[in-house]
Amino acid sequence: MRRKNTKFMFLLAMIVAVSAFLSACGGNGGSTNAQTNKPAESDSGTAANTVKEENTGPDLSEEVKLKMLLVGGKPADYDEVFGELNKLLKEKINATVEAEFLDWSDWTQKYPLKFAANEDFDIAYTANWAFYNDQARKGGFLELNEDLLSTYMPQTWAAMPAVSWEQAKVDGKLYMVPNNNTEVTDKVVLIREDLRKKYNLDPVNSPETYANYVKTIAANESGFNAFGAKPADGWKWHELDQILLEQQNEWNLVDYSMPLAYKLEDASSKVFNVYDTPEFRQLLDYYKDLADNKGWSKNIVNNKNDVWQDIKAGKTGSYAQNLGTVAFNLAEMRRDKPEYEAAIVDLTPDKKKIGAISTQNGMAIHVTSKHVERSLMLIDLLQNDKEIHDLTMYGIAGKHYEPVGDDKYNAGPSAANYTGFSNWGWNSQLNRSDASYPVEADEILAGWQEKVYHFPLETFVFDDSKVKNEVANVGNVMLRYAIPLEYGLIADLDKGQEELNKQLKSAGIDKIQTELQTQIDAFLAALQ
Amino acid sequence: MRSRGFWNDVKKYRTLLLMLVPGVLFFLLFAYIPMAGIVLAFKQFNYSGGIFGSPWNGFDNFRFFFDSGDAWRVTRNTALYNIAFIVVNNGLQIFAAILLFEVAGKWFRKITQTVMFLPYFISWVVVGAIAYNLFNYDVGTINMLLHKIGMESIDIYNTAAYWPVILVLVSAWKALGYGTIMYLAAITSIDTEMYEAAEIDGANIFQRIRKITIPNLMPTVIILILLAIGNIFRGDFGMFYNMVGNNGLLFSSTDVIDTFVFRLLITSNEIGMSAAAGFYQSLLGFATIMLANYAVRKYDKDHALF
Repeated sequence: MRRKNTKFMFLLAMIVAVSAFLSACGGNGGSTNAQTNKPAESDSGTAANTVKEENTGPDLSEEVKLKMLLVGGKPADYDEVFGELNKLLKEKINATVEAEFLDWSDWTQKYPLKFAANEDFDIAYTANWAFYNDQARKGGFLELNEDLLSTYMPQTWAAMPAVSWEQAKVDGKLYMVPNNNTEVTDKVVLIREDLRKKYNLDPVNSPETYANYVKTIAANESGFNAFGAKPADGWKWHELDQILLEQQNEWNLVDYSMPLAYKLEDASSKVFNVYDTPEFRQLLDYYKDLADNKGWSKNIVNNKNDVWQDIKAGKTGSYAQNLGTVAFNLAEMRRDKPEYEAAIVDLTPDKKKIGAISTQNGMAIHVTSKHVERSLMLIDLLQNDKEIHDLTMYGIAGKHYEPVGDDKYNAGPSAANYTGFSNWGWNSQLNRSDASYPVEADEILAGWQEKVYHFPLETFVFDDSKVKNEVANVGNVMLRYAIPLEYGLIADLDKGQEELNKQLKSAGIDKIQTELQTQIDAFLAALQ
Repeated sequence: MRSRGFWNDVKKYRTLLLMLVPGVLFFLLFAYIPMAGIVLAFKQFNYSGGIFGSPWNGFDNFRFFFDSGDAWRVTRNTALYNIAFIVVNNGLQIFAAILLFEVAGKWFRKITQTVMFLPYFISWVVVGAIAYNLFNYDVGTINMLLHKIGMESIDIYNTAAYWPVILVLVSAWKALGYGTIMYLAAITSIDTEMYEAAEIDGANIFQRIRKITIPNLMPTVIILILLAIGNIFRGDFGMFYNMVGNNGLLFSSTDVIDTFVFRLLITSNEIGMSAAAGFYQSLLGFATIMLANYAVRKYDKDHALF
């Protein structure tokens, strides 16, 4: 009896141990990938050689297969469009390309892993919001020089303004072929214009009129959220902060992972903690008023829904986003849900606007790529070859889009099957604009262009390597104390703000502030 | 003399040893060899250096964790939650297994088993979504029901005090089927002659459970608990993250080491710092399992793991 049981138990123990181990494996597997680091020196070597061969151009005799890393969901008609692309590429540069897509749901986790595991790919989408500085500093990207650029991407080299290259440099070195497109980063709000009219409200064009809109809608429409946000993904700010805190006060936050900003007009760029300002305190009153009037769901911090889908479904009445995204939403609403009338509103129309720097989107070469020349040539074509640019940006003519003249297009019957991923990496002057693009969005943008404010710190990027621990802890404090405070979930605002700042202090905000100021001062000194 | 004994044993148990080989290889390959990666916890990782070539930086990688001032709180939360899970889950599983064993109807037993097992296969992401629809303030099922019977809504997502109870219940619900089957298998392997003898001696069903089933289950229970104790400092990330998400109001009572570290490092991608956190958990886990095993040995040598 005893014996029988021991055997059984041994077996049981094995099973449990193995299954426990297997489940643990999922989490820890990443660290076991051995590194195979093959330096890219052979590439630059051959590159230099081919340059010397003079006019014969690069050696294209060997067919190569390039791999490209993009973020976003894989479009349904990927095979068709990229099949077409590969025919063109085969002809022009004797290469084919295969793209790998990192889905929006978890790209932030997968993207750095692709580099850490040193997977085999040649080109990667990158941006100032998509690990550009981080990976550049960690050595994930190949450094690009004038030689490489002018030799292998002549069209881009000719078309790109010099300032765009300058803006893309990290610590004085270039790692990215930035997109060539002007954008403004200011945020706007999408509202339900039909509801505004229904309740006879003033046009929304300021924080006050917007508050009025939110409160009226919340009071009268049941089962409806007047404002929607998606803070559940770890975003550390109220989604209206960029408008109501930054744009309204003409501040610029250095990095969205810490609450430090400077005033746009302050020539010495003194950095301060935004949570410790009277402006923030006033904004808390504003938010609390909206929250108490049921302007948003009490459980907004646990909401994981896609806010735009909620708006489209008629469940949410407004949200804040980039002008481009909101304009696209508006066009979609007009097409799919004509019964709802939406409108784009700018809550800070008279304030200074900030232009996007070139690193808003771009493409970089993986440091271990074996096909540097061909990769650069591919990016050149993507960005500046009309035929290839049209194909990769809009899909197949007649199916995914209908060209209108040279610079406009209409959505084609299967437009939805080729969209939603980061082909913005090769945005350029060849971009077509959507013929159904809302006129009001164009007007807003035109109005903004003249208010775009250029300031010395535009291209400044904070290097947090000396204060990593503090940045990590400050981010945690923001999530834990600032978010609930801003969404009106804490009854006593004064006490909440005090607690928030106390926690920030112990998380080391002062150390970050000193380090940041030192770097800014050095940056400004270098400009003079 | 001794070595002859050893080779004799090898020969005698060759079939059993052969069966052991895959397991040993598995752990060697996936648990022992990767252990070298621990060095990352003490290195400033960069791509050009890789795991072994990156420069050392001492205990710098551990600083973010202990500087936060939250290290003690999250460590305590992790251990307390896991202890609660172990006690509640095993208790319920044993209870359910004994009930199922004593129920005669074969069909009833099979169906119940299947129904209990189902939650085990539901992903935490889905469980999180179900929970949101149950608990949310505006349109959640629970609050709707409270309204119907004329009571005030309760704001579950903004009240930290509810969460320890909710999490323990959800964990029990999800793990019940799996554990029950394991215990049921153990009960089935108990010699039926003992029950027959007990019955002849006039023991009623409760006496049989208390005097035969439970004592015979104890070795299994102890092994399972000992194995669980080794992981007492590892929070179930999938569960905590999907149930609580980034809701700062709940962190005080729901933050475990894993979610805390995830939140701090998700934007910085410092492999060394994550490795440091993992190393810290492993060390604590190792210490606990050694202590627990020592305690069990003291009490009864046969029941200890090693």
